[in-house]
Amino acid sequence: MKRIYPKHVFAALVLLCGLGAPAMLRAQEERTLAPVSGTYAITNATVIQAPGRKLEHGTVVVKNGLISAVGKGIAIPPEAIVIKGDSLTIYAGFIDGLSRTGVTKPKDENKEKPKDPGNPSPERAGITPQNDVRDFLNPADKSVEELRALGFTTAQVVPYGGMLPGSGAIVSLGASSPDKMVLLSKTAFYSELTTAERVYPNTVLGVMAKYRELYRQAVQAKAYESLYASNRAGLERPSPDRILEAFYPVIDKRIPVVFKTEKILDLQRAFTLQADLGFPLIAANVKEGWDMLPRVKATGTKVFLSLDLPEEKKEEKKDPKAKPDPEKDQLEKRKAEFVTLYAAQAGAFQKAGIPFGFSTLTAKTKDIPANLRRMIKAGLTEDQALAALTTNAAQILGLSDRLGSIDNGKIANLVITDKSYFDEKSKVRYVFVDGTLYKFEAKETKKSDGKKVDVSGTWSYSTETPQGANNGKLKLKKDGDNYTGTITSTFSDKEIELKSVSVEGSQLTFTYTIRVQGSGVNVEATATVDGDAFDGSMTAGQYGSFPMKGTKDPNR
Amino acid sequence: MKKILYSVALLAVATLGYAQVERGNLLIKNGTVLTVTKGTFENTDVLVKDGKISQIGKNIAAPAGVKVIDASGQFVMPGIIDAHSHAGLDAINEATAPVTAEVFTGDGLNPFQVGLYRALGGGVTTIHAMHGSANAIGGQCETIKLRYGVKNADDLRMEGAPRTIKFALGENPTRVHGGGNGIVPRTRMGVEFVIRESFSKAREYRAAWDKYNKAKTQKGFRGAPPEYNLRLETLADILKGDIIIHCHSYRADEISMLLNVCKDFGVKRLVFQHVNEGFKVAPELAKFGAMASVFADWWAYKFEVYYSTAYNAAILTRNGVVTSINSDDGELMRHLYHEAAKTQKYGALTDDEALALITLNPAKQLGIDARVGSLEVGKEADIAIFNAHPLSSYTIPTFTVVDGVVRFDRAKDPDDMRIYVDPTQAVDMATFRDREQGDHCLDGAEENLVNIFGLN
Repeated sequence: MKRIYPKHVFAALVLLCGLGAPAMLRAQEERTLAPVSGTYAITNATVIQAPGRKLEHGTVVVKNGLISAVGKGIAIPPEAIVIKGDSLTIYAGFIDGLSRTGVTKPKDENKEKPKDPGNPSPERAGITPQNDVRDFLNPADKSVEELRALGFTTAQVVPYGGMLPGSGAIVSLGASSPDKMVLLSKTAFYSELTTAERVYPNTVLGVMAKYRELYRQAVQAKAYESLYASNRAGLERPSPDRILEAFYPVIDKRIPVVFKTEKILDLQRAFTLQADLGFPLIAANVKEGWDMLPRVKATGTKVFLSLDLPEEKKEEKKDPKAKPDPEKDQLEKRKAEFVTLYAAQAGAFQKAGIPFGFSTLTAKTKDIPANLRRMIKAGLTEDQALAALTTNAAQILGLSDRLGSIDNGKIANLVITDKSYFDEKSKVRYVFVDGTLYKFEAKETKKSDGKKVDVSGTWSYSTETPQGANNGKLKLKKDGDNYTGTITSTFSDKEIELKSVSVEGSQLTFTYTIRVQGSGVNVEATATVDGDAFDGSMTAGQYGSFPMKGTKDPNR
Repeated sequence: MKKILYSVALLAVATLGYAQVERGNLLIKNGTVLTVTKGTFENTDVLVKDGKISQIGKNIAAPAGVKVIDASGQFVMPGIIDAHSHAGLDAINEATAPVTAEVFTGDGLNPFQVGLYRALGGGVTTIHAMHGSANAIGGQCETIKLRYGVKNADDLRMEGAPRTIKFALGENPTRVHGGGNGIVPRTRMGVEFVIRESFSKAREYRAAWDKYNKAKTQKGFRGAPPEYNLRLETLADILKGDIIIHCHSYRADEISMLLNVCKDFGVKRLVFQHVNEGFKVAPELAKFGAMASVFADWWAYKFEVYYSTAYNAAILTRNGVVTSINSDDGELMRHLYHEAAKTQKYGALTDDEALALITLNPAKQLGIDARVGSLEVGKEADIAIFNAHPLSSYTIPTFTVVDGVVRFDRAKDPDDMRIYVDPTQAVDMATFRDREQGDHCLDGAEENLVNIFGLN
């Protein structure tokens, strides 16, 4: 195999930036020059080689993309760039068990109701298991940089789609080309219980039935193909079918079905299919698994728990004049108990002796460190959390020989922080991915001057949604220290009352609820305000997150 | 073979690991016991052991440690069975094709719906969780016991209950597919064609497999098997007699049509649902051995169901048709005993006949009458206790017992019976009318029509 030297990678990146992307060049100005060496030594640091294996005042040497030495008082190669690690902590890079980091979402094709909704094309039905996530990778995607900034260096990524989106791959979060990201391809037969819009299978009932039928057809087709291969004379030629062929490695138990099973009933339904069909299962992005521990254990199912947690209720100032409402208080109390159960899930798996990793699929990147702290507060130890992020995840993905710990010969994926990673004030200072260094400047903890910008007025905003551009007016009114406001959209001129508006420094956040097919969808928007313009994103529940820009209308 | 062994082993492990349905021990003392099949006994006790009725008699001594319910002055009857419900399901209609025999409501069970507990509050212990009526041949249905409190959907299933499937005639399938998508069926003729065509294809499919399996036993055989098709597999199982058809229907002509189709294809296990004009073809139904599950007095909610009568259940019963009264509705389900009592005003049925409409007869229609539907030694201890005769307008359910486990106790009935709480839902929403209440026959089939018509 051709070894890719990090410095060559770097040179390629520089070339790419210089030729094609002036905007990127600006953003990465400090990295436009290739480092003089691909060898690094981080000295005198606290090295957490693996959970429970701590080395004080240790040195880690990175060379040719690998960890070439780790220990105390080891020789530093003369060509090494030295990073003084005094007061820093080094961990093995974190591994994300399931996400779409760096995966491009294909443009939504026509979702019109076709003539005969009972017989849609496989693509329209969400049945594309022959797709390979490698065809959709983009190392320059913002999500790669964002997740890497948290210390994640590896992710199992899967394509977008419906019930059978395609096969996943394990990728490095940083590389100069899509193929160079890939550590292992075709690692997962990715499955969801996602229904097709307005066509078959339109319900979970249809998805389950279709899953069984396709699987059994694949078993049959595979058996016939081997019969045919053994002696072709006089036998009808098997008709090739890429959809069914995609099942073959699963039927052979060479790759697992990685099933997105967020809710307890999703998990049960995946188990039902597994019991019917007998495939190896990894339950991924699990959010409500605490009542399923015996079954997970009995079936030996491997799991990736979601790093997405429901929001905790913020302490509200009670209006002393408000009438007491014991019924509402009781409901609030039960809801809060449940929110705690989600945070305690990882601890419950740990207690049951079920090894698990984490997945970021639906987690908001910025919430991940706080969510880890909530899990730790709810019963997980820091070592256990670290194991889930590193050694356990590597084990589940079958990559323990290359990833998960800081040992000689392993891939140089490192995260270097100024405090324990799980400390609230901890900052990631350096990340190594495949031996390539990414630096993060220590940001000021406090907002520059604590002064809040004034956002009152009428703004014109626009977002890019898969359904097309959405434009409207955002009206914000100052009310004492707080804001109120309304919003319109391309789809409705009606002014919708904003549920909340907050301004922290230059950070504007607002939320509102829209009605989609009879049910409420919460929209949350965050943007950075710079004078008369803002730039940020809008998240509409399950529909995803879209970039948003706005400009202030001139005062009339 | 290895694969089969593996699956069997997996299943065994799975069964040992989690699927343990709780079965209780209980002594119900000194009540008026309405057995439905063996008469009514005053001041009588019912002893339950391991979820089954082990003794019915006077002065039964309570075994040590067994929970005792004092039913003095109360009435003890078999748990109510609803042969037509859509409760406990996350999805009801796979309304995208006129034939969806391969889908199964058992894949969409949701044990967390509070509606299941509310049904227990009306003495209901078993329901037929049905696919909706959007398709001429809808999905397979699941018979579930209301073991509210379990967290595994599997624990709701009534293990060993026969397979059933939903069919639908008339306006619903023609409107959804003919009207909505411009495909067959647009008319009642089309519905008949769709069913006949499906059965014919299933027959061919079965024949092709039989031929292949037979050929395979011959030495040196080499050839391609027919392509596996789950829809045709299921339809073929209907023809084989393994699946009971439960057919949504209203008019006498369409009921006669399906009787003829079934005769032509040798299908014998047939239950008509709603069947508001059943009284017009009661002798024909009885002759065929088809059964009927009706509303007590609910009609005129759309054109095809203007012609009906509150005497329907009584006329069918007197003609020898096994008849039940169902709810098809989360609210109606809570007072099926009132619905049964209406047949005494309209048709003068006896107490046992009226009670059988909501116990033994629906059990027969679901093929579970050897296990539930009456209070007899050896049957499963699904029991409802009322503070007055269940056919009285003033009666109130006090206890509901499933497999000997008390699942509803009116004296201990907390306000918040939710098992799982949605952590993203605003709290004030929890007190809103939820979508479990209301009619579901066409859920997922039509976006707005459901709100305009009360569809059944």
